[in-house]
Amino acid sequence: MAPTTLTTARAGFPGALAHEWIKFNSVRSTVWTTLATAVVPVLGAVFVAATESLQPDDTVLGGSLTASVPAQMLAAVVGALLITGEYGSGTVRTTFAANPRRATVLAAKATLIAALMYVLALVSCTLAYLIGGAMLDDGRYAQGEPLPALFGIAASFAVAGLLGLAVGTLVRHSAGAVTTVIGVLLLPSLLGPLFGDAQRWIAGVSPTSALEKLIQTSDATAETVGSLGPWPSLLLVTGYTAALLLLATGALRGRDV
Amino acid sequence: MSGASPLPTVEGMIEARELTKRYGDRTAVDQLSFTVRPGRVTGFLGPNGAGKSTTMRLILGLDAPTSGSVTVGGKPYAELPAPLRAVGSLLDAKGAHGGRSAYRHLAGLAASNRIPRRRVDEVLDLTGLTEVAGRRFSGFSLGMGQRLGIAAALLGDPEVLILDEPVNGLDTEGIRWIRGLMKSLAAQGRTVFLSSHLMSEMELTADHLIVIGRGRLLADTTMRDFIETNSRAHTLVRSPEPEKLRGLLEAKGADVRLDARGGWRVDGPDAAAIGDLARDHGLAIHELTPAHSSLEEVYTALSQDSAEYRTHAVQSPHAVRSSRKEKV
Repeated sequence: MAPTTLTTARAGFPGALAHEWIKFNSVRSTVWTTLATAVVPVLGAVFVAATESLQPDDTVLGGSLTASVPAQMLAAVVGALLITGEYGSGTVRTTFAANPRRATVLAAKATLIAALMYVLALVSCTLAYLIGGAMLDDGRYAQGEPLPALFGIAASFAVAGLLGLAVGTLVRHSAGAVTTVIGVLLLPSLLGPLFGDAQRWIAGVSPTSALEKLIQTSDATAETVGSLGPWPSLLLVTGYTAALLLLATGALRGRDV
Repeated sequence: MSGASPLPTVEGMIEARELTKRYGDRTAVDQLSFTVRPGRVTGFLGPNGAGKSTTMRLILGLDAPTSGSVTVGGKPYAELPAPLRAVGSLLDAKGAHGGRSAYRHLAGLAASNRIPRRRVDEVLDLTGLTEVAGRRFSGFSLGMGQRLGIAAALLGDPEVLILDEPVNGLDTEGIRWIRGLMKSLAAQGRTVFLSSHLMSEMELTADHLIVIGRGRLLADTTMRDFIETNSRAHTLVRSPEPEKLRGLLEAKGADVRLDARGGWRVDGPDAAAIGDLARDHGLAIHELTPAHSSLEEVYTALSQDSAEYRTHAVQSPHAVRSSRKEKV
């Protein structure tokens, strides 16, 4: 073996990213869940527009992107599966033997899920908006402001994926992580009304509410999700997701696998 | 460094120093120190639960030691720039995802360490998996899974190979294949470290032995020395008056036990001394056979010693804990 290859080759971030990409696209379950994430908003737009199941005060953008909320949950599930799948199948040892720098491996996973979800959601949600707009009668509903909102919507998918990844890293088991992540996304808006005036604080900080504000749906009222604007909401969600990822990185580095 | 140097260098050495790993109050590896050198097959032997797999995970940096250290080529595993190019490992056959094809599994690993893609085809060919490379791992037999694990270990053309029970699940032909492979890799100057709980397997493959029991080092020696030192001579003796013979022998300080084949198995005096003793007392002898205990017996005795220690431990205040450990 030539010693030069030994010294120059390094299992760094690019290698880890390439490894993650191959692992991601060679397993059907993650690929299909990801595709579903992209397809659901479009199907939702077609359904909503065809049945005209919008509130009178809704916007074209908000109505067309109704299904982006469940799609965002799928994005979070994919993020969780990205690491829990490794624990479930035992490949986590193979992965860390190939690259023992665990923070690098997690960073590669984070980059993959964030980039993938951002691009897919941007394309899918733009398409959903255009389809909804084309199918709905002109002037019957307010149009809403698609730009720059669509970029924020795409970012909220990326952040949901990262949140899923952080939870998956901490929980390690697929079923537990998926339940947790769906709970985090669903429960605040589900349980919020039980808390009366505090509802806007409880429901308002969830990733779901940030998305609802961004798509400008009539559901996102100040009473239910608080008066924090769409972009500050997105920033807030990004902030605690980043904190959770840091926590997950610490746990991953300190743990035996 | 000149590549012609035949002397073992730090390059391919695995060095454990006072390596200790506790899981809660269970000590899996207990102050283990050993050196695995290049150019020979080193067998890592111990009964199930002795701490072999834990030691291997510690070497690979998957588990962190409670105390002590272990290095590969003078470095902790985590500091190797491209680990797969330095160390190939097989931990268990279940190191691949059921939904992924063998080819994609290897391609991913190759990508992670910047190993050229053609190496994937080479190791698939080497392990006889070329035809099933496109098949998903879930459809693999235990033996095929083991071959895939070995293919992954060889991917980076590493100087050091660490294999945990590599013959598990392989058929006779597969076992012979892996034996030849290990020997040829060692002959190329690589470090080959493989674990097994079967002495018979080690006897045929390993040049050097590291034996552990209950996480502790029991022996670190060449296979030949191990046999010579540990394989004690004994004598099988039969007499029509067995009890009288036993009395005489035990009076001389011999250890006399009933042999499975009938007659006495005598440790201590050699055949000549036993024959003379019988003659002096006018005892008839019908059989007098010098014998050596097989390596399997030696190993069983060694690991039983550590098992006995375990039984004694049950008397201690740690009793409940130590018995719980055994189930893990």
